[in-house]
Amino acid sequence: MAFRIQYFPSPQPAVALLARALAIVLALVCAGLLLAINGAHPIALASQVIASTFGSSFGLEDVGLLVTPLILTGLSVSTALKIGAWNIGAEGQFYAGAFAATGIGLFVPGPTVVILPLMFLAGMFGGVIWILIPTLARAYANVSELITTLLLNFVGTLLAYYVSTGPWLDPGGHALGTTARVRHEVPEFWGSVHWGFPLAILLTVVVAGLLNFTRWGYEVRIAGSNPQAAKYTGMPFRRHLIAVMLLSGAIAGIAGMLELAGTVHRLQGGISNNFGYLGIMVAVLARGSALGVLAGAALMAVILNSGIILQTQGVNTSTVLAITGLILFFTAIGDELAHYRVVRTQLVTV
Amino acid sequence: MDAMPEPAVRREPPGTPPIVYLKGIAKYFPGVVANEDVDLDVRAGEIHALLGENGAGKSTLMNILTGIYKPDAGEIIIDGYARAFASPVEAIAAGIGMVHQHFKLVKAFTVAENIHLGWSETPARISPQALEARTAELAASLNLAVRPGARIDDLSTGEQQRVEILRVLARRARVLILDEPTAVLTPAEARELFKALREFVSRGNAVIFISHKLDEVLEISDRISVLRGGRKVATENTENCSQKMLAKLMVGREIVLNNLRERSPHAARMSSDAVLRLRDASAQDDLGNTALNKISIDVRAGEILGIAGVAGNGQKELSQVLTGMRPIVSGSIFVDGKDFTRARAGDFADDGVGHIPEDRLTSGLAPALSVTDNAVMREYDEAPVSIGSWYRPRSATALAKTIAAAAAVIVPDFAMPVRNLSGGNQQRLVARREMRIAEKVLIAAYPSRGLDVGAINTMMRYFVELRDAGVAVVVISEELEELLNVSDRIAVMFHGEIMGIVDTASTDIEAIGMLMGGRRATTPPLEQAGI
Repeated sequence: MAFRIQYFPSPQPAVALLARALAIVLALVCAGLLLAINGAHPIALASQVIASTFGSSFGLEDVGLLVTPLILTGLSVSTALKIGAWNIGAEGQFYAGAFAATGIGLFVPGPTVVILPLMFLAGMFGGVIWILIPTLARAYANVSELITTLLLNFVGTLLAYYVSTGPWLDPGGHALGTTARVRHEVPEFWGSVHWGFPLAILLTVVVAGLLNFTRWGYEVRIAGSNPQAAKYTGMPFRRHLIAVMLLSGAIAGIAGMLELAGTVHRLQGGISNNFGYLGIMVAVLARGSALGVLAGAALMAVILNSGIILQTQGVNTSTVLAITGLILFFTAIGDELAHYRVVRTQLVTV
Repeated sequence: MDAMPEPAVRREPPGTPPIVYLKGIAKYFPGVVANEDVDLDVRAGEIHALLGENGAGKSTLMNILTGIYKPDAGEIIIDGYARAFASPVEAIAAGIGMVHQHFKLVKAFTVAENIHLGWSETPARISPQALEARTAELAASLNLAVRPGARIDDLSTGEQQRVEILRVLARRARVLILDEPTAVLTPAEARELFKALREFVSRGNAVIFISHKLDEVLEISDRISVLRGGRKVATENTENCSQKMLAKLMVGREIVLNNLRERSPHAARMSSDAVLRLRDASAQDDLGNTALNKISIDVRAGEILGIAGVAGNGQKELSQVLTGMRPIVSGSIFVDGKDFTRARAGDFADDGVGHIPEDRLTSGLAPALSVTDNAVMREYDEAPVSIGSWYRPRSATALAKTIAAAAAVIVPDFAMPVRNLSGGNQQRLVARREMRIAEKVLIAAYPSRGLDVGAINTMMRYFVELRDAGVAVVVISEELEELLNVSDRIAVMFHGEIMGIVDTASTDIEAIGMLMGGRRATTPPLEQAGI
């Protein structure tokens, strides 16, 4: 009889959850230590962050504005993962969506009640166009979508910079490097939080429903989990791959459109605020669950908002980036360690 | 390494310890005895063949000798000194190197780079030209012709194997272990290899040659050791061996003849017409090589046809062809009279062909998804699991429960990933799932692989149940015992062809063993006589 550490293919839920919580705590402790070394007072800063985030409706509204795009980009990445594809390009699709929506909003005349839905469709379409080439390249030539979607991010970013500083530059000249203000706005829902927030939650529920309660969703889950099994049962893997990747792009495009029409109202470089990349983190934290996407997006929103508060206290914004990185880092370790259990062994002979 | 002027054959004086002496080696995996009580001595100057069926423990034993596994009992004695290897690096430092069946070369690198990769004697800074010159020198001194500047990608498998061998020998290995080296070679390449091996041992080195091909073992080796069920059953000088005797040693364990071929009175009669008909079918493997060469098979309703043969002789491709997962390049397939030559996997399943695939975890299941998702894989698109486009998780779980109950698998939680079930339970679940749709035909590829005796018996009972219900069953297996117990006829495959089809009632293990080794049946196949 001896003790040894053994790997199990799936972790116990309680252990997995504990590992997650420990990861977040460890990341915060590390960040606190770094701050303390630099002469700040982590405890005082933390209480200030908590007070200004949850202590006022302003704080909560800010979180609400940040969480909307994070839910959508997280959902985008998470959906693509269901068919086994890594959409690293939510950032670029976000820009493409914002770009297309701006184009409609600025140059198509008409009442908001007509134009806003058009902008929504344009945003979706922009995201789809942006993921189309990586999708086809993956489906027909087996080119890694990880690389192609990532590279198109730079194209999307530069496109937004170019039009907002060049052809579409605000002729009124009020702001440097942005387009004119788009008149058509997503109405507000609570305080400064627009209707994009409930819409993002609704979209998450709809996608989860599609995946769990339709034959199509069942086939996507099987094909995504094991393409060989799809071949074995005769499911059309390629068709599902294309559909799901385009859906993923559409959702990221919607995120860009809502950010533009709900929060920023002008296309400008940096409008994405890294939401596309943070969506990858949200999806990783969510582990394929819809509820997880909502929770992960909420956590990220709180962290981003804390960064803004810390900045007002004279703390470098890189600290926040470090915290998100540390959380991902410790979560990856924690998730792996949760697979191990200490077991008592005895020699088995048959 | 300098060329060593050695006499053609060096005979060791008596009393010299063997280069390698394995003493009482045992290795246990959960629930499995991989090796037990194995003694093996390998002497300088000999080619020692290690013979055994799949799962006999050959690979485990060699993994222990090369430091990949630690033995649970026993000693490794090299040149008279007991040694313990913590890794293959230590083993190679002691002069023991292995060439695995699947080459471990970096395909985008040149031959020279692969030879020098991860080698302590590789100079820290060296130009590609100098590296290639070094490689050419090594190759010349060891008499292995390679092209130092060529990329591995551009080499034939035979050349790749030479690179692997050169890599091991360059590190001054005195014992070279080859795992099924000829499986990937053409006959001409195999002859080249044999020549190189003879020369290598003539310099006082030794080769351990793992194989299950009897003819080549008899040709190349000086002594033969046979493993069976993890134990060594014999070591014999090759000149005292015959194919017949080796076949018997390899497969002829106490065969438990548990005849399931008898039919109960109310079982369905075997039909006179074939329900599954394969005519002159040829197919390629994933690399585009011919895997099946003009195969013809007829399976009647209410019959179990066994497919025997050493693994890798086209059985996998055959099972895929018979279920629509692999297209055939010529020939035809008929199921119940309908032409299925161009049909896809979905059509086969819809028309009553069930398939227990070779490796359930890679194609028969989605391991990360729930038991429910996996159990309904064949019936998810019909009522009650789906109504129209809607998938109903509750009905799916209800169906999964029915299947699990039929399979006698106790599932604590139908939402847990199916990979958490034991191998035997997974296989029973897959088998029951497939039996539900197998109205006409069931193709079972290696259904008992990785299962314990109880689970194997269950699996065999399932096949008999289907047979008695009038289904045509094809069982592909490397366990002759199983095939003899359940099949009415046994077809033996070798190099993508059917060597012969024998009536189980009137055959014996030796006859099948000969067919497995590539000897064609001398009498005309009983297929014609039978139908």
